[in-house]
Amino acid sequence: MNDNRTIEELNRSIRLKKTVNTTFLTIFIFAIAIIYFWPILYMFLSAFKTEHDAVSPAIFFTPTLETFKKVLGDRNMIGYLFNSLFQVIAGTLLCLLLGVPAAFALVFGKFKKRATNANVHLWFITTILLPPVAVIVPLYTLFQYLNLIDKPIGLLIIYVGFHVPIVVWMMHSFFSDVPLSILEAADIDGCSRFQQFFLIAVPLVRTGIVASGLLVAVFMWNEFFLAFNLTGNEAATLPVYMARFREQQGMFVAQLSAASTVVILPAVIFGWLSQKSLVKGLTAGAVKG
Amino acid sequence: MKKNNDWYFLYPGIIVVAVITQVPFLVTLVYSTLRWNLARPDLPVKFTWFKNYWYFFRIRDFSQIPEFYHIVWQTLLITFSVLAICTIVGFLLSLLLDHVIPGVNIARTLILGPFFVMSAASGVIWKTTILNTTFGWYGTIAKALGFTPVDLISYHPIAVIVFLFSWRWMPFFVLVILAGLQSIPGEIGDSMKVDGANWWHATFSVKLPMIRKHISVAMMLGLVFIIKEFGLILVTTAGGPGTSSYTLPYAVYMQVFNASNVGRAGALAAITVILTLIGINVLYRSIQKRSAIYG
Repeated sequence: MNDNRTIEELNRSIRLKKTVNTTFLTIFIFAIAIIYFWPILYMFLSAFKTEHDAVSPAIFFTPTLETFKKVLGDRNMIGYLFNSLFQVIAGTLLCLLLGVPAAFALVFGKFKKRATNANVHLWFITTILLPPVAVIVPLYTLFQYLNLIDKPIGLLIIYVGFHVPIVVWMMHSFFSDVPLSILEAADIDGCSRFQQFFLIAVPLVRTGIVASGLLVAVFMWNEFFLAFNLTGNEAATLPVYMARFREQQGMFVAQLSAASTVVILPAVIFGWLSQKSLVKGLTAGAVKG
Repeated sequence: MKKNNDWYFLYPGIIVVAVITQVPFLVTLVYSTLRWNLARPDLPVKFTWFKNYWYFFRIRDFSQIPEFYHIVWQTLLITFSVLAICTIVGFLLSLLLDHVIPGVNIARTLILGPFFVMSAASGVIWKTTILNTTFGWYGTIAKALGFTPVDLISYHPIAVIVFLFSWRWMPFFVLVILAGLQSIPGEIGDSMKVDGANWWHATFSVKLPMIRKHISVAMMLGLVFIIKEFGLILVTTAGGPGTSSYTLPYAVYMQVFNASNVGRAGALAAITVILTLIGINVLYRSIQKRSAIYG
């Protein structure tokens, strides 16, 4: 009887200790997470301030939508927004159109030389390593010659070229999970390669396609170097707008925050949505190999 | 045997990528051997062998090391500091986020956030709302504590850039390393507890070797991302004061768009690519060596 009670007490004290530990750990982890995220969180808060409130760093204020209205009413901003949307939508679709079949062929294709699959895959990956500065000089002179500077189509072509390898890299690991036997069975049943691709492989890697599309979309939405150097006023995208914002509007913190919120939010939401498949796509191939 | 049409899947992608990324790079190499200044149409474009490279490499006077070497040094310093900070702190953060606590997914999501924020915007946010000495949190907190806030961006540009780069890219390291930690089977944690392994031992002798592949993937991809970073520098320090926070990509940008010197910009771009490839190679080899030790 006595023994039982002490064991019970012991258990309770262990459980209590565990709860206390978890509580401290939770507070600690959340403190770090919030501090880490603070600049973005604070920007989000400041977007609802008036210009007067935003001058001093304060957390408490009466929220207002005035600043948002002002920023979204700015015709410049809408122009940049449409440019960005055009690049992201057209660019992502084209990248998937080029990259997904290529990844499929790299995983399942049979070529004369056995090593072709691995070699071409490696080549695609090495092109990811190429920094955009390596190509900016010829592109700039060529674009000037072809009158493509500050044209949305010019930037789009470059974006597609630079992001197809990322789709190939991601999709390669997703296609690698599709069992070869399914395709072989389809082959015996008389499915052509195109049928195998569209009717069997693509439906199986839907999540992968969505994840690569989202990642590439986020990258294009955020791309700065090429957009900044190859566009002027007509075709410039939102990152360029953000960089110019400081020069033009100076220290209007509330306006800056509202503009940044509009610019950042889509990418952050898309990114968060795709994070699970993102890790898989980026690491699977490399970790297994 | 059916006619093999697998190449049809591959050709469009290969052609587009080759034409858009590889051909211009080859043209860059050609440009780097030309004397070509867009601002001087009176001077004809002329083949000059490696004069452009020599222009950067030449040391006339050893008491005055040319700017180029400073820029290379700054690039290396920034890149490798950021890589080290991201890997070490990223690993520690991942360990924290690997705990089972209520709402851990929210904490993970918050830390992941900066990775998806465009660098131009994060630079502007940090510069105006945090680092500003009069309106920002840094200035306000420093004054409340009785310090006089110094303008970090002008006095410690490299430190600010290293800090901002790390803030921006560490989430990516956490994302990948955390995935590695979570792939460690639960039984291993249990058996470590039974064996009485202390935290230090469990973390660095058991967990770390198990996720070294994830760490190397994070480092390789991270290096590629960090080398490409340009927007953060442009909107925060703009390379300044003077050239004290130039990196090679930034210097290429200045050569084309400020000095209009196509030839020299080409040479700098080629040097950047070569250094990038060397850096990635060194990193890859050292990782390979490590994995040989752990088997």
